[in-house]
Amino acid sequence: MHQNGVKALDGVSLKIGSAETVAIVGENGAGKTTLVKHVTGLLKPTTGDVTVDGQNTRKTSTAQLSRKVGVAFQNPDHQLFSESVEEEMSFALRNFGFAPELVEQRVRWGLELFGLEEYRKSSPLVLSGGEKKRLTLACILAWDPEVVILDEPTVGQDSIQKERLAGTIRMLTSSGKTVVVVSHDIEFLWPIQPRVVVMKAGRVLGDGPAAILMQDKGLLDSARVAQPQLVEFFERLGERPHAPFADPLDARRWVEETRR
Amino acid sequence: MVLAGPSGCGKSTLLRAVNGLIPHMYTGDYSGHVRVAGIDVKESTMRDLAQKVGFLFQNPENQIFMFTVERDIAFGLENLGIPRAEMRERVDEALHLLEIGDLALRAPHELSDGQKQRVALAGVLAMRPRLVILDEPTSLLDPKTAAELVQLVGRLRRELGTTFVVVEHRLDLLVRVADRIVVMNDGRKALEGTPEEVLFGDEAEAYGVTVPSVTKLQKMLAADGVLPPAGLLSPAELARVLEGRSTR
Amino acid sequence: MYHRLDPRVKLLISVLMFATTLLVRSLYELAGVLAFMVVVAAVAMVLRRVARTMMFTATFSVFIFVLNFIFTRNLETSLLYAARFVAIVVSTSLFFITTSPDELEQVMKTFRLPRDVVFAFVTAVRFIPVMFLDTIQIMDAQKSRGLELEKGNVLKRVRNMIPVLIPLVVNSVVRSGELAEAMESRAYGAVPKPTSLVEYRARTADRVVAVSAVVLFALAAYSFYFVFPARIL
Repeated sequence: MHQNGVKALDGVSLKIGSAETVAIVGENGAGKTTLVKHVTGLLKPTTGDVTVDGQNTRKTSTAQLSRKVGVAFQNPDHQLFSESVEEEMSFALRNFGFAPELVEQRVRWGLELFGLEEYRKSSPLVLSGGEKKRLTLACILAWDPEVVILDEPTVGQDSIQKERLAGTIRMLTSSGKTVVVVSHDIEFLWPIQPRVVVMKAGRVLGDGPAAILMQDKGLLDSARVAQPQLVEFFERLGERPHAPFADPLDARRWVEETRR
Repeated sequence: MVLAGPSGCGKSTLLRAVNGLIPHMYTGDYSGHVRVAGIDVKESTMRDLAQKVGFLFQNPENQIFMFTVERDIAFGLENLGIPRAEMRERVDEALHLLEIGDLALRAPHELSDGQKQRVALAGVLAMRPRLVILDEPTSLLDPKTAAELVQLVGRLRRELGTTFVVVEHRLDLLVRVADRIVVMNDGRKALEGTPEEVLFGDEAEAYGVTVPSVTKLQKMLAADGVLPPAGLLSPAELARVLEGRSTR
Repeated sequence: MYHRLDPRVKLLISVLMFATTLLVRSLYELAGVLAFMVVVAAVAMVLRRVARTMMFTATFSVFIFVLNFIFTRNLETSLLYAARFVAIVVSTSLFFITTSPDELEQVMKTFRLPRDVVFAFVTAVRFIPVMFLDTIQIMDAQKSRGLELEKGNVLKRVRNMIPVLIPLVVNSVVRSGELAEAMESRAYGAVPKPTSLVEYRARTADRVVAVSAVVLFALAAYSFYFVFPARIL
C-alpha cells in the first residue's frame, strides 16, 4: 500500500486465529494503524489480499466486515453524535439489522456491563473522556463481534481506568473472542502476555509470544520499543527462572522461594 | 513538579488558575489567592501573566495558528508588540533551543506530533516565562519520543532555570527528573512529596497514579524485609541489590 | 517569478482582468482577453491548475449558455455570456492559486480589515487540511459501525452524512474553545497594534508591473469602446 509514494506497509503477512490475543507495537509511523485499517477494508492492499473469516476485503464493504470485526478507534469524539447514550448504542445495532427487541436487550446489557446505566438518557457529548471511551467500547460489544480491535486504548487513562480496561480484555479473551490491541503502553500489555507483533517502517520485525520477544533487546531497540521493566529486571538477575515474571506478585513469590 | 491524580480531580482547573485563564477567561466564584513569579493572578492582566507563565496544551494541533512555524513562534511576541528586530532574535533563539531550526519555514500540518509539540513549546519559550506548564505532553507520543521530550525538559530546566509543572499519568518517564510530585483528588491536594515519598506510599495507587511495576515490586520486597530501605531503584539496580543479598 | 510579485500587485492584475471581462462586448474581444489570461497563467507556470479550474466551471457555463439561448435565441450572445463566466472564474482563481495564505493575510491587512477578521480567516485556512483529515477519520469510525456511505439513493445518502457531520461540527466547536485558550495564554489582544515578524515591501519590479497592468487595462478599455465598433452587447 502506498501513501504519498512511500510504502506504508511492506510485505506484511500475518495470520491471526480465533481466541488469540495479539498486541501490535512499534513507534509512531511504523504502520500499526494502517495495518488495522486493512482488516475492515478501510484501506485496501495494492498487492495481496486480506481475508476475514473467509471474506475478501476487496469484495465486501467495511460496514459488512465490521459486523464481525469491531474496531475501537483512539478518539471517541470522532464517533459520538446521537441525542442520547441509548441511541448511540443502538446506532450500530440498527445498521446491522438487529430486531428492535434484541436492540433493547443488547443496549441494556452493554450499559450495565460498563456501568453507564445512569447516563442512558444523557447526551453522549457531556460524558467525561474516560466515560466516552467506555461508551465506544460498549457500543462495539453490543453487537458482539468475534474480533475486537483496540487502537491505543490507554491514552490519557489513569491507573484505575487501565485496570478496568485490562479486566475487560481478560473477559473478552475468556469468552473466546480474538482481541487485537495496538498500543505504546508496554507496561500495560506485559501482564496480559499476548502474542506480540513488532513493526517498523511498514514491516513486521518480530512475531511471537511476549515472554520471548520482549527479551530480544536488539529487536526492541531497532523498533524503538521499550522493554517492560520486569523483563529488564529478570535479565539482570544472575540466577533466575525460565521465563520473565508477568507481574510483580510473581516476582515477589520467586524471590521468597529462592531465599529459602 | 509533577501534578497527578485521577481523571476529574481538578488538575486542569488548577493549571488554568495558575496561568490566568481562570479568572480572566473563565469566570465564576473565586476565593483565595494565586501568586506566580511575584504577581497576583487575579489582579494582573493576561498580558503580564503571559510573560511569566507559559502553557503547553495537550493537543499540539490546536495551539498552532499560523501557516509557517516561525510565524507561529512569533505569535505571542507579535501580540505583545515586541519590535521586529527583537522578535527575530527571540524566534531564532527558540528555534535553536528546541533544535527545530530546519523546520522554520515549514507548514504545521506537515509535521509529526513530536515536531508540532516542539513548535508549540518554542512559541511558549519565546515569551521567556519563569514558569512553564505542560498539560499531559506525552499522551500522543510513543515512548521513545516521550523520553526525548522529558530529556528536553530536563535540559531546558538546567539551561534556563525555568520551573516546569507537568501534568502526567505516565510517571515512569518523569520520576528521574521530577523534584516533587503533588497528587490531587476531588479538587484538593491529597499527597505531596518527593517521587520516592509519593510512590512508596500506600495511597498513590488509590489516586490513579500509575506506579511503575518494578517500584511495586520494590515496595513489596521492602515490606517483606528482603530489601533494605533505599531510594527509587531502576530494574537493573533492583536486580543488583537482590544479587548482593543472595550471595551473603 | 509571478509568485514573487507583491500580493497587492497580483490582486491588482486579477481585478483589472475581471474588469476587462466586464467591458467586453464581442466574442473577438473576449477571445483576446482569454488569450491574454492564458499567457499570464503560462508565465506564472500555473497553466495546468488554471485549466483544471476551467474544467470545473464547464458544467455551469454550459448551463448559462443553454439558459441564455432559450431566452434570446441568439447564439453569439449566449456564447458570450458563457465564455465571460469562464473568464471571470479564471481571473479570480489566478489570484488565489498564486497567492499563499500568508500573502492573503498581508493583503487583508492592507485593506485595514479588523485584526480579528484577518486572524479568523488565517486560522480557518490553516485548519482546512486538519479538518479534511478529521472527516476521513470520522467516516472511518462510522463505517466501522455499519454505516454505508456508498449505497442507497440520494435521500438515504444525505441522511447517512449526519453521523459524519455532527462529530465534525462538534469537534470544530471544541477546537475553537481550545484555540481560544491558547490565544489568551499568548496574550492575544494585549496590544491594539501588534507588530509583525515578516513584512512585505513593494520593490521596483512590483511597481513596474503594476503600472504596466494599469496601462494595458486602459488601452484595452479604450479600444473596446472606441476602436472596435460595438458588436453584440
